[in-house]
Amino acid sequence: MTVFTAEQVEVGADPREQYERAIAERWSDGAPLLPATDDAIEALLAATPYPADHALCVLPPVNGVATVELIAINAAMAGVEPAAFPVVIAALEAISEPEWNAFGLTTTTSSVCPMLLVNGPGRDELGIDYRAGCMGGAAGRGSMTIGRAVALCIRNIGGQRAGETTKTVFGQPGRFGFCIGEWEERSPWPSLAERRGYSAQQDVVTVHGGKGTYPLADIHNDDARDLLYLIAKSVAFPLSNMYLGNVQNGEVVVAINPMWAERFGAVFPDVEELQGFLRANAWQPIELWPEPNQKILRDKGRVDADGRVHLVGRPDQIVPIVCGGLGSLHAIALPSFGESQMQSHPVLRPGSA
Amino acid sequence: MSDTILVRRPTAAPAGEVRAPVFDLDRPIAGVHVGIRTDKAWRSWRLIAQVWDEYLRRDGAATTLVETGGMVGQTGANDRKHIDELADTVECAIVGLGTCGSCTTFTIKDSVVVEAKQKPVVAIVTEEFEVHGHNVATHLGHGDLKVLVLPYPLEARPEAELRAIADEFYPRVLELLGAAS
Repeated sequence: MTVFTAEQVEVGADPREQYERAIAERWSDGAPLLPATDDAIEALLAATPYPADHALCVLPPVNGVATVELIAINAAMAGVEPAAFPVVIAALEAISEPEWNAFGLTTTTSSVCPMLLVNGPGRDELGIDYRAGCMGGAAGRGSMTIGRAVALCIRNIGGQRAGETTKTVFGQPGRFGFCIGEWEERSPWPSLAERRGYSAQQDVVTVHGGKGTYPLADIHNDDARDLLYLIAKSVAFPLSNMYLGNVQNGEVVVAINPMWAERFGAVFPDVEELQGFLRANAWQPIELWPEPNQKILRDKGRVDADGRVHLVGRPDQIVPIVCGGLGSLHAIALPSFGESQMQSHPVLRPGSA
Repeated sequence: MSDTILVRRPTAAPAGEVRAPVFDLDRPIAGVHVGIRTDKAWRSWRLIAQVWDEYLRRDGAATTLVETGGMVGQTGANDRKHIDELADTVECAIVGLGTCGSCTTFTIKDSVVVEAKQKPVVAIVTEEFEVHGHNVATHLGHGDLKVLVLPYPLEARPEAELRAIADEFYPRVLELLGAAS
């Protein structure tokens, strides 16, 4: 039996009282939580190879130490089932990689949040949404609870509080939690995790410092290249964060529905060629920007010899994934904060460490 | 059935119990090697830093400027390396600008690099980001870090106004560095 170090607190047995108490104690994101009882926490801890007192990472903004016990407490409150707890752990391990820039992303004025992209055979069992409504509305337990648990850890362990420790101007719905899977079986390309060096048999979480969901729609284009050209142009919108900083930093995720993926895969069976095509067309002419902006972009070296301002410096910074329903017609871009590099971490279960 | 249940508190204690020491020059600015950290993102700060650079050299100091522009990737790695080298080389430093969330965070982080080498340093932030700057410094264990607060917003002001702000706050920078008059 685990010896817990977190303080034990007596709360009312009535769920409404618990809800009021969680708001009063500032444990809540505003929505109701489940009680983090010792039984619930124990069940989660049994699902990870890490001991309860293991300090997994330090979470900004306030640099709280994220022990596995504290993470389990927050996961219990979010309703994470034990089998899904290692996904929460893996996501936090990815977030705490320095190049994800949690210190910057948790404090910025921007609307950025950790967007969890899950690959691997565990997606269905864990209830991670990757089909119709995967970015909201599908209501898979895994997607809703894993994303929220990670967000609660940043709030309760990292101390992120809008208007206090984070300067976010608007925040965004994804700060409640964002976790989707990739519909690998409908993708003509290797999965995101495979492209990042993992095997198809591994459950892997990739964390993207994303700024929200940017919808794209089309009913006019029969030619896959024409449609991809317009997707590239659309993600290169002039007030993208990616035009503020370094061309080599950050990634834009492009979530492609399975029907479009099939069309694109027929023309670009090699995903790197697809990314090369998207990168080559994701630019705007320098004349698009007002004159003072043009000078700034030139000073930053963002304008090429042909007067093009590319969104990204490399093809791998445009990251296609396949998910969504079979109704076609739509894609969703997940624009980047820019000064953040996507990070992946395998899901470790007892015996796999 | 009991009217209450027991749950575990989900919060962690914020870091910041330790407060690293701060340092003063305790001598006139003439002859001192001053580092200035600017930022590609903020044209206002580049102008103010340029004015202060001129004034420091006028007053007999030597200066080294480092311009940052990245948080991650090769640019970020280069920036952090240059800040570390600057902290090794100079006798004190002026580090800015904190006028957004993440840039305040990195302004404070880079200031802490200098202070950790036991040298006087002043972090420059704007009014809206003053509390955030102090919070970051505290959570990095440098809660007494000297912070100079400039008016907010600085961006979109005419050059004459920015030069007036540079003039007004230059004596305060010297004071915070602990330069004897």
